[in-house]
Amino acid sequence: MSVKYTPVQWNTNKYIYDAVMLVGVALFLYVFLYAAPGILSHERPIDPQVHNARAFGACAFVMLTVILCIGPLARLDKRFLPLLYNRRHFGVMTVFVALTHASYILNWYFAFSSSDKFEALLFANTSYSQLAGFPFEVFGIFALLVLVILSATSHDFWMKFLTPPVWKRIHYLIYPAYLSVVAHVSLGILQDQQNHAFTVIFIGGAVAVGVLHLMAALHERRADAAISAETAEWIDICDVSEMSDGFAKIRLLPAGDRVAVYLNNGTLSAISNACAHQNGPLGEGRIIDCLVTCPWHGFQYDVTSGQSPAPFTEKVPTYNLRLEGTRVQVDPAANPPGTYVEPVPVPDHAAQEAPA
Amino acid sequence: MSDKNSPFFVGYLSAPRGLRTFLLVACVIFVSGLGGLGLALGVAQDDPGNGAFRFDYGRQTVTGVVEMTPYPLVRVTEGSERIAVGQTLMLSGQGKNSVISRTAPLEGQLAKVSGVILDRGDLEMMQLRGGRNGISGVEGEAPAMQTEQLGRWRLAGEICDGKCLAGAMRPGRGIAHKACANLCLLGDIPPVFVTTQPVEGHEFLLITGPDGTALPESAYHHVAQFISLEGEVERRGDLLVLRMDPDTVELIR
Repeated sequence: MSVKYTPVQWNTNKYIYDAVMLVGVALFLYVFLYAAPGILSHERPIDPQVHNARAFGACAFVMLTVILCIGPLARLDKRFLPLLYNRRHFGVMTVFVALTHASYILNWYFAFSSSDKFEALLFANTSYSQLAGFPFEVFGIFALLVLVILSATSHDFWMKFLTPPVWKRIHYLIYPAYLSVVAHVSLGILQDQQNHAFTVIFIGGAVAVGVLHLMAALHERRADAAISAETAEWIDICDVSEMSDGFAKIRLLPAGDRVAVYLNNGTLSAISNACAHQNGPLGEGRIIDCLVTCPWHGFQYDVTSGQSPAPFTEKVPTYNLRLEGTRVQVDPAANPPGTYVEPVPVPDHAAQEAPA
Repeated sequence: MSDKNSPFFVGYLSAPRGLRTFLLVACVIFVSGLGGLGLALGVAQDDPGNGAFRFDYGRQTVTGVVEMTPYPLVRVTEGSERIAVGQTLMLSGQGKNSVISRTAPLEGQLAKVSGVILDRGDLEMMQLRGGRNGISGVEGEAPAMQTEQLGRWRLAGEICDGKCLAGAMRPGRGIAHKACANLCLLGDIPPVFVTTQPVEGHEFLLITGPDGTALPESAYHHVAQFISLEGEVERRGDLLVLRMDPDTVELIR
């Protein structure tokens, strides 16, 4: 949560996250660059520039694959949520690794001629009408541009400035970018490989990303089916006895929005399930210090008003709700973000009348 | 839905006790996994071949007859300790630049050439020094050089740029290197055809267009591809020259 913009709001977990990430990346590069050549039995070594380009390119691909696996993993198993917390640092680091790869390529393959190397990158191979020998560099250029844009706009300032829906849509470009990287590798280095270990690892990584996203989508669909509500004036949520203090029940409303109904110290309140920060699922969080806490980045809201505590300014819509006997029901029409709604007290007898 | 039995992580708070072991294991798997992948990918790289700049030979200076195919060659008549009489050297300039403008005026004449050798098997090229230090005419009549016609051949293989293939870059061939090869060929670096089956004992042939022309533009689209083509083959010293027929190119893979 932020009330003013600072480059990075460091905390212990972010330090640990970045340290682990840097150690992993440094180990990958060290092993690739300095340990592997001793094992290779080549009569003459691969040019250092090509070797470096391959190391940084392979590292960027692995990093991007891991980044894209974290999202669905966190949807499938909430224990992975901490990996999501500081993922933007992972993304920014990936951009630097990818830029290093591009720099080695540009200053080697496209240097030493009388032409400008940036122009040469665009005109040296123009076989766009054929698959074999297709200028695969264009896929790399596209992916790199997207990664740079996503990295440059990753700060919360840009989310506020662009608004979360626009920011989110821009950041969905990561998927075309990843597909572009897959095409870049498939039509490039993969065409030359005699040793198929790289091919197996590459395909395994790309398939893992695809399969995990598919599994997460199916998981979400099943979850949506379980929480979807029929159109009605008041939407039935659950029996009050099913609720736990400090926790929520989520329901998919007919209009497509999700509502999170919280039981907080014996009273019921309902807010939008979508966090104002990055649409994190507020109903999958819990109440800490009397505030609903988002499971993704820890943004907090007063459950009665949907407002972040001062001096923070984030707001989410609230919903009116009622108790019909022991049934919790919500009015599907959302109140404007930040609207206070009187919490509904739960009588002791209603809470105890749990159905079998 | 939230679950009170599962630990809840908030980024700016200490990690819950119930998650610490899981996160520690995840960190160990992440770091060791990246190290393992670095090793697996690092050792999966193919042998780039044995082409190289032969700086270990030192600067070589020889005399010979300049020929234009149209790519420049020198047929050695006075060798050095490393280059024998009768050898044929392809010539290039620094980087991806040709020396055609310097060799064309000396076509058919004796010249002294000086530079560094690149070699890969029976493929040899000299990267000339700059200006007259690299090539200069020599007094005397140039001996007649034989060119033996070997007839029309159908060959399978790959078009490369002769300089990277000879050792300016390792690896200096393949699809990943195609744009670089095209850039060399656009700079009139001598192109080379690498055959899958040796021709008269040679795996590498200088390739040109038909009738003494440069490599046709259509051939650039086939650089680094596995293709078959037909052409007239001729022997110039220890170098074979393939004059390709552009209409016969077929993509094999």
